[in-house]
Amino acid sequence: MALMARRNDSTTRDIDWLTVSIYIGLVLTGWLMIYAVGYRPGETELFDMGTRHGSQMVWILVSLGVGFVIMLFDGKMFQTFGYPIYIVALLLLLYVLIAGRVVAGSKSWFDLGFFRFQPSEVAKFATCLALASFLGSYNVNLQNFKSRAIALTIIFAPMIFILLQGDAGSALVFTSLLLVLYREGMPGILYVFGIIIFILSVLALMFDSSFPILLGIGLVSGGVLINSFRSNRPKLLYLIYGFALIFLYNYFPEYQIIFLGVSGAVFLVLFLMKLRDKRRQLALLVGFVFLVSSAYTFVVNYAFYQFLKPHQQDRLLVWLRPDKVDPLGALYNVTWSKRAIGSGGLTGKGFLDGNITKLNYVPEQATDFIFCAVGEEQGFIGAFAVIMLFLLLLLRILFIAERQRSKFTRIYAYGVASILFFHLLVNVGMTMGLLPVIGIPLPFISYGGSSLIAFTVLVAILLRLDSNRMLVFR
Amino acid sequence: MQDQFQGRKYIIQGIFVLSTILLLLKCIQLQLIDTSLREQASANVIQKINKYPSRGLVYDRNNKLLVNNKAIYDLMVTYDQVKDIDTIKFCKLLGITKETYIKKLNPNFSSVRYSKSKPFVFLKKISSEMYARFQESLYEFPGFYVELRNVRGYMYPNGAHVLGYIGEVNKKKLEKEPYYKRGDYIGVSGIELSYEKYLRGVRGVEYVLRDNLGRIVGSYEKGRRDTASVSGKDLISSLDIDLQVFGEKLLQNKRGGIVAIEPSSGEILAMVSMPSYNPNLLTIGRSRGDAYAELAGDTLKPLFNRAIGAQYPPGSIFKPVMALIGMQEKVLSPDRGIGCRGGYIYKTLRIGCHGHPMATSVSKAIQHSCNAYFCQVFRDVVDKNGFSRASVGLDTLVGHLHDFGLGVRLESDVQNELPGNVPTSAYYNKLYRKGAWTSPFIVSLGIGQGELLITPLQMANISAIIANRGYYYPPHLAKSFKGDTTKIPLALRTRHYTRIDTSHFRYVVDGMEDVVLAGTARVAQIDGIDICGKTGTAENPHGEDHSVFIAFAPKNNPKIAIAVFVENGGYGARYGGPIASLMVEKYLNGKISDRRKYLEERMVNADLNKSYRRK
Ligand SMILES: [Zn+2]
Repeated sequence: MALMARRNDSTTRDIDWLTVSIYIGLVLTGWLMIYAVGYRPGETELFDMGTRHGSQMVWILVSLGVGFVIMLFDGKMFQTFGYPIYIVALLLLLYVLIAGRVVAGSKSWFDLGFFRFQPSEVAKFATCLALASFLGSYNVNLQNFKSRAIALTIIFAPMIFILLQGDAGSALVFTSLLLVLYREGMPGILYVFGIIIFILSVLALMFDSSFPILLGIGLVSGGVLINSFRSNRPKLLYLIYGFALIFLYNYFPEYQIIFLGVSGAVFLVLFLMKLRDKRRQLALLVGFVFLVSSAYTFVVNYAFYQFLKPHQQDRLLVWLRPDKVDPLGALYNVTWSKRAIGSGGLTGKGFLDGNITKLNYVPEQATDFIFCAVGEEQGFIGAFAVIMLFLLLLLRILFIAERQRSKFTRIYAYGVASILFFHLLVNVGMTMGLLPVIGIPLPFISYGGSSLIAFTVLVAILLRLDSNRMLVFR
Repeated sequence: MQDQFQGRKYIIQGIFVLSTILLLLKCIQLQLIDTSLREQASANVIQKINKYPSRGLVYDRNNKLLVNNKAIYDLMVTYDQVKDIDTIKFCKLLGITKETYIKKLNPNFSSVRYSKSKPFVFLKKISSEMYARFQESLYEFPGFYVELRNVRGYMYPNGAHVLGYIGEVNKKKLEKEPYYKRGDYIGVSGIELSYEKYLRGVRGVEYVLRDNLGRIVGSYEKGRRDTASVSGKDLISSLDIDLQVFGEKLLQNKRGGIVAIEPSSGEILAMVSMPSYNPNLLTIGRSRGDAYAELAGDTLKPLFNRAIGAQYPPGSIFKPVMALIGMQEKVLSPDRGIGCRGGYIYKTLRIGCHGHPMATSVSKAIQHSCNAYFCQVFRDVVDKNGFSRASVGLDTLVGHLHDFGLGVRLESDVQNELPGNVPTSAYYNKLYRKGAWTSPFIVSLGIGQGELLITPLQMANISAIIANRGYYYPPHLAKSFKGDTTKIPLALRTRHYTRIDTSHFRYVVDGMEDVVLAGTARVAQIDGIDICGKTGTAENPHGEDHSVFIAFAPKNNPKIAIAVFVENGGYGARYGGPIASLMVEKYLNGKISDRRKYLEERMVNADLNKSYRRK
């Protein structure tokens, strides 16, 4: 119905071939790494469909086919059918909750016999399209509350379904779309709050005692108050006082309660001084923030250990408190993943010679931990190349986004970039112990047909939309 | 429509770039800065497995296997790889408690000896039977693997002191010789110690790759770094195991030693030290510690090798040596007769003698073992340069005795050999003051008494020297290496000459022949074998005298020289003579004639243990 009959001459010419090249480069890198991970001397054949590299080759060909088909569609169609596609995706997510198949603890797969796929993959580009459709319309303005609420609902609806499936990793991916909202005018202060809450949560878990957090909050709050003084001397004094207190607190742990009391008293004095000041609003605000954030860290710490199941706790503890985790249990994967990457050194052990990845020390090494193979066999040079290739892709997509006349395409492009960025940061970060282990694949590189096709569709739609950039439609 | 938030694209670009830089910095930290990751990785993935060579076997001179190898196993573990173990099953298979399991799995990791990522010994000395049961389930216990170790098995319950045993290398040796690694087995005594370098072979090493379950999945770098182990050399010892077994049987329930030597080569045919123990008791295994403690605590000292470690006054067997030195020093002519009035008398000094026909020659004096005769010969040698210059004479005598291997180590390959004692003029100068002693003071040396001390090995060597008419090879236990051109050490193949003219020996040999034919040791006669011997009775102030006998046979072209020493056995002909002659007969004829079976039985049944325990 919507197949574009008129092959616009400009379509091929206007395809962004740089993006296509990076895409091909990443996919091939991925295939080589999958081949290397499964390689056993004397046993492994290049075109063996029973192996992972064999089936990945099939998925690569399928993905290229899918990408080609998408190029045949009319770009307008994606805008027109943005909402319907989104609705279908939500229905799929709902349906998989009822009839889906449980794989690795999450009920998020459809088994079509020849192919298993996750509706959450469909939801990614569907949500991007829906978000673009919504934000692209005339009457939408993220400065007003209603628009904000709808935009957030578009993002969080699939996220909640996916969470219910038990696939927290894929669900978290959708938070990356908040970047799109930021680009389109979501108030920056909300992000500042979000980041503060995030940092407070992390801090709450990083320390067993809430003392150091209280001390920190007290000092920072006091600092905000003192910053409103006109002369510089009290600011300097406060700075010295702050550092001295932190120093003393660290080196005389038996008197921690005293130092905490001192910081509390100083804050109280400042607070009372400011309260009599003309700008008491600031004092009240800071005091309020002080109380709320202190309470918040208590609650987070308490709730974490009280309500989360041990294996859920482990995921975060591995990241924040490795000393609390069984080295042969939850920490095992990350430890070996780091060893694999670290053992690659500058130049790596050479293609097919990565013995840690090959000997199954790193679990999920062809899928979520494929970056280990890059790090081990190709060393820092290889890791650098892959990461830079991704950065190039991301910046290129942002560039594409900004050259659009169509707001729809721009927003969609930002969606694509955000999702790819989140996958890159979290996946590579988790293999190196920088971020918690959230089971999400490295786009284009990890083994798996479902995710490869989904990422291909994501990018292919963008390229199709971009090739129409000269046509003004809206 | 105007895009008022266009500036925000820079912030988003910034977030992308900064995050990427963060990832790259982490890469730099892991890959370029933190080398510990690389070490941890290789420690786990590449594993070095020691390939212990099989230790050389030991055969007797007739190619009978004496010592072989038994397999035992050390169970190794790498802490970091231990995962999901069914400890109940594991402990049951190994016969250990759960507490032991926990303890063994958690050694002191703060010590440099242990690392969680490197294998260490979990359980040592697992028998092959237990291993067979355990091995079937080994795959269920990731992190554990087994190293094969060879330990010794002894085919005969005999020859314990000679064969020796192996044990774990000690700290001192580890520091001195870098070849050895902690936990290596090394020869601790006997042949195992003397020929350690030949027997042990060369350890090999294999680098293997292990997967996450601890399974070996291949060799590292295609085996380029591996070295093969080289098996130890098989040693053919000089022992005649049948003779050794026979000797131990004859000497059972007695304390003493027997040493039999092939004079023409210095090869030790038998070396018996009683009491002894079954060498299998000290083979490496779980029960070894207890067995060792028990042997070490035994008042009869079964671990002590009397054949080389016990030093006794030789008594009359010293007389042939005295005669030879006298003749060489030209103070004694072969046909000299010396009267005996029931002993040697000098002023108030009196050394008794037994009643015997007149000693009209050197041969007769040896035949009848006249004390007076040899006291006189001794004084003539010592006073050769004048009565007041006894030091010079004594040191001449001592020089000759050293040539006979007395007062010095024979430098044989038997470990812990003692030199005995030959007193010199310096010794007496110190004891009495210079010039204050004269030959009569020390005349008992002439009949093998006084400060003179000799080991059974040295006694046998005297016999070999006389059999050879003037030379010896250091007595040794190694004959050759099986199927190998490596020769035994040159020092053992080098003749040591005495300074006694060959011509003097016939008088002594004739006398020793007569000792057996018509002298003090007629009990030692063997039909058809021309045996020469000499009895000795070593005075023992603490109880019954020690019975000593040296012999060699046949008289011409001797095949065996022997010394027998039986503590508290009384005069030489009571035990020494019969045992020596039975050994000679057994060696030369292969069996004991019916006529002498009674003698064998008497020796075997003689039990002197009561007299030892009493003290
Ligand atoms: Zn006499």
